[in-house]
Amino acid sequence: MSDVTLYHWEPNANSGKPMLALMEKGVPFNSHYLDLLNFDQHDPEYLKINPLGTIPAMTHGDRVLTESTAIMEYVDEAFDGPKLMPSDPQDQWRIRWWMKFMDQWLAPSFSMIGWSVFVGPSVRQKDPDLLKARIDRIPMPERRVAWRKAIYGLFSDAEMAESQRRVGVGIQMLEDALSKREWLASDHYSLADVNGFNLAYALPLSQPHLSNDDLTPNILRWLRAIYARPATKACWAMGKTDMVKRVAILEQEYIA
Amino acid sequence: MSMTLYHGEPNGPSLTVLAALFEKGLDAQLVKIDLAGGARHDLAVAHQAEVGMSIEGEGPVLVVNGEGMTDSVFIACYLDDQGTGPVLRPSEPYARWEMMTWCRQIIERCAPAAAFLGTKAHLATALAALPTETFLAVTAKMQSVDLAQRWSDIRTGTFPDDQQADSETKIAQAVDKVEAQLDGRNWLMGDFSIADLETYAWLAAMVDLVPSAFAGKPQTSAWLARVAVRPSVAKALSMAASGDPRNCWAPGPEINRWG
Ligand SMILES: N[C@@H](CCC(=O)N[C@@H](CS)C(=O)NCC(=O)O)C(=O)O
Repeated sequence: MSDVTLYHWEPNANSGKPMLALMEKGVPFNSHYLDLLNFDQHDPEYLKINPLGTIPAMTHGDRVLTESTAIMEYVDEAFDGPKLMPSDPQDQWRIRWWMKFMDQWLAPSFSMIGWSVFVGPSVRQKDPDLLKARIDRIPMPERRVAWRKAIYGLFSDAEMAESQRRVGVGIQMLEDALSKREWLASDHYSLADVNGFNLAYALPLSQPHLSNDDLTPNILRWLRAIYARPATKACWAMGKTDMVKRVAILEQEYIA
Repeated sequence: MSMTLYHGEPNGPSLTVLAALFEKGLDAQLVKIDLAGGARHDLAVAHQAEVGMSIEGEGPVLVVNGEGMTDSVFIACYLDDQGTGPVLRPSEPYARWEMMTWCRQIIERCAPAAAFLGTKAHLATALAALPTETFLAVTAKMQSVDLAQRWSDIRTGTFPDDQQADSETKIAQAVDKVEAQLDGRNWLMGDFSIADLETYAWLAAMVDLVPSAFAGKPQTSAWLARVAVRPSVAKALSMAASGDPRNCWAPGPEINRWG
C-alpha cells in the first residue's frame, strides 16, 4: 500500500501530468479514478479533497495537493527516481515558462475545442433534469458557464475561431522550439515534455492539416520519442476511453 | 556571468523582479524602459518566443547569455538560485508546492484583474490621446495578436461591465486569501518569499482602486506596510521616475477565456 493517492481521470491533459510524472519516477500510487463525464469531480466526497471540484488532486500521507503542474514539481522533488528537472537554473526557468504557456494559453484553446467536439456531445443525451442538477452543484461559477456551453452547444463562432487560431500559433511555436532542441525546453527530458505530451499526444489526429510528418517533423519526432518510453506506455494503458486510445496513431512510421 | 534587466516602473512584475534582485544582492545592469510605450518590443531579444509570447504581458525582461527571460515569478526563482542573500523559496517540497500554487493563483486570477483595473484607471487616457499612426506602429511590432488586442481595447476604452465586476471580485478574493493566510504570521509562507513580492506587486495599487476589498482587513494592511519597507522593496520603489509607481500600468495578462 502506497501513501500516495492520485485522484485522476484519463491520461490526458491535467490528469495525465501527475500520472506520467509519478510513473517516470517509479513512485507507486493508489489510483482513484474519477469519471469526468459522470461529473464525479463535483461529488461532495471529492470536494472534501479539492473544494474547487477539479481534477487532479493528490494526497501524500495527510498532505493534500492540487494544481497539476505544481504537483509535478512536488513529485520530482519529494521522491527518488530520475530527475525531471535539470540542475541548470536557466533550464528550470525555461521549463516553467513553457509549462505556464501551455497551461494558461495553449491548453485552454485545445480544451475548448475538445469540450465542444467530445465532452459536450458525450454527456448531452443524459436526462435534462439530471444535467441541470449536475451543473447547479459545480462549485466554480466559471466552470458552470463552461459546462453549460459544452452541454448546450453554446460556444460562439468567435471564441472557437480564436481557439483554433491559438492552436495554430502554438503548434508552430512547438515546432520551432523542437527544431532547436531535442526536448521541449532543455536538452533533457523534463516536466515540460511530460506536460506537452499530455497536450499534444493526439495532435496528428486532431489537427491533421496543421501537424504531420511533413509539416511538423520535429513535433512528430518528439511525440514518438515520448511514446516510446516505458512509463508513457504504462500510463496510457490506464486509459479507458477512445479519446486516449488515439495515442496509437504514434505507432505509424509516417503520418502524411 | 553578466545580466541585464530591462524593467519598467516599480509596480507589478517589474517590482517583483527588481526586489528579488536586491534581496539576493545580485549585480545586473539595470535598464529602465517604457513598458507602457511598447519599448519591450524594440529589444534585441523581442523576437524570441519566450519574450514575444509571454502571457504576463508587458513585464520585465532579464537577458542572460543572450536569452530573454520573462514571467516575474520564474525569473525570481532563477535569481533565487544565483545570489547569496536569504532564500526566497522554502526548500521543503511541500512548502515549495504551497508557494508555487499560491503564486499560480495570483498570476492566473489576481494579476489579470489588477491589470484590467490598473490600465483602465491609469493608461487608457494616455493611449487614447496617441495619434493613430503612432499607436499602430507600436502594436504592429507585437508578436502576440492577443496582447496587441488588449492594447487596443485599453485605447478604445473597451472595459466591459462584467469584466469590471469580475475583476473587483477577484481582487476581493485575493485579499480575503491574504488575510486568512497571515493569521499570526509576518509573511505569507511563514518566511519571506517570492509569494510576498508577487502578491504585493499586484495588490499594492488596488488599495486605491478597490478600497472596499481592503476594508476591515487589518492583517493585510499591516503586511502591505511591512513589505513596502523591506529594504529590497523600498530600494526598488525609490527608483520610481514618475511620482507614485502604483499609478504606472502597462497591459498585463489576459482575463481567463476558459474556466
Ligand atoms: N489548474 C488546474 C486545472 C484542473 C482542471 O481544470 N482539470 C479539468 C480536467 S483537465 C477538470 O477538472 N475539468 C472538469 C470540471 O471542471 O468540471 C490544474 O492544472 O490542475
